[in-house]
Amino acid sequence: MLKWRSNLYYLCAPSENVYSIDFTRFKIRDLETGTVLFEITKPPALERGQGDKKDFDPNAGRFVRYQFTPAFLRLRQVGATVEFTVGEKPINNFRMIERHYFREQLLKSFDFEFGFCIPSSKNTCEHIYEFPPLSDEIMHEMILYPYETQSDSFYFVDNKLVMHNKADYSYSGAP
Amino acid sequence: MEVDVSGVSRTIMSILPAPTDEINSPPKAEPEKPRCSSTPCSPIKGTVSGYQILHMDSNYLVGFTTGEELLKLAQKWTSTEKATGDTMPNPRTKQLDSGLHRATRVYKTKSRYYQPYDIPAVNGRRRRRMPSSGDNCIKSLPMEPSKVLHGSLPLCLLKGKRAHSKSLDYLNLDKMNIKEPADTEVLQYQLQHLTLRGERVFTRNKT
Repeated sequence: MLKWRSNLYYLCAPSENVYSIDFTRFKIRDLETGTVLFEITKPPALERGQGDKKDFDPNAGRFVRYQFTPAFLRLRQVGATVEFTVGEKPINNFRMIERHYFREQLLKSFDFEFGFCIPSSKNTCEHIYEFPPLSDEIMHEMILYPYETQSDSFYFVDNKLVMHNKADYSYSGAP
Repeated sequence: MEVDVSGVSRTIMSILPAPTDEINSPPKAEPEKPRCSSTPCSPIKGTVSGYQILHMDSNYLVGFTTGEELLKLAQKWTSTEKATGDTMPNPRTKQLDSGLHRATRVYKTKSRYYQPYDIPAVNGRRRRRMPSSGDNCIKSLPMEPSKVLHGSLPLCLLKGKRAHSKSLDYLNLDKMNIKEPADTEVLQYQLQHLTLRGERVFTRNKT
């Protein structure tokens, strides 16, 4: 059943991240082999400063693009480790709902909980992505049409939306 | 310990504020992996918009970029095209302006080294989930490298300067009646009782 997808925009402004949640490290690995596929880090927001970002779309900082190879679609379980810092307010029921789409079709929705976060802390958590079974046809289309696979990541604190990140994906393996 | 929607346990680890020197110290660099001529595995490192890429396994991932980088490149392309005084309608400029995705034309070619539908061998064991697709692999036509890397701008960057008011309509999942009112309080309540297709019923105690 196709899932209706209308959201091309962000459902909250960057300023609604009142808890100063800042992701500082991200790693994904194939859980079957333990192979680390990707790892990235960035200094905390205070160290980064504003630089020349004031001229850029504020949404630019919450969008990323991945260029995967077709082999990635054959994986079954991927562990995603995320490290993040939080501001001075305690965070209750920190939760992420992430939805992956190919064109207008929902591939899978993931729901992960981070739980409670101590104020001014750095936290690490690994979540497990169980890939949905994909037909050869869908995989072929996903490979053929880069960036038409997209995702929305919604972050909630006490069921209130505080962050919304987006990503899109290519699986053609083009460098 | 909690069980996620996939039924797999996970542990949340909360780390107390780390010492300043630990936070400010540069991340440990992974040892350089030996290159093997028979498999295209090479750690790719670099920086992108303040991010430092520590590891990228090119068997699975060949590129990563951010919205900021994409916008910078788009601005550079636009100014380059204006500077060349190109009066003919440039399909790439048009594409950027319209924000439409352009289907990548593909052709099949034999690959001597890389079987895209194979999962690279690990520890001498090659995994394959589906029957082999043969010797074909899909490659895109050669284009200007930076444009091949980054493709077209996503619509959310072209059009997404405004943020909608907080609406949870979008999170109206499979088993939720779409005819229900979009009242924020109702949606908030529904959010607390999300039911995901084929997965466990999720309930939360109101705190």
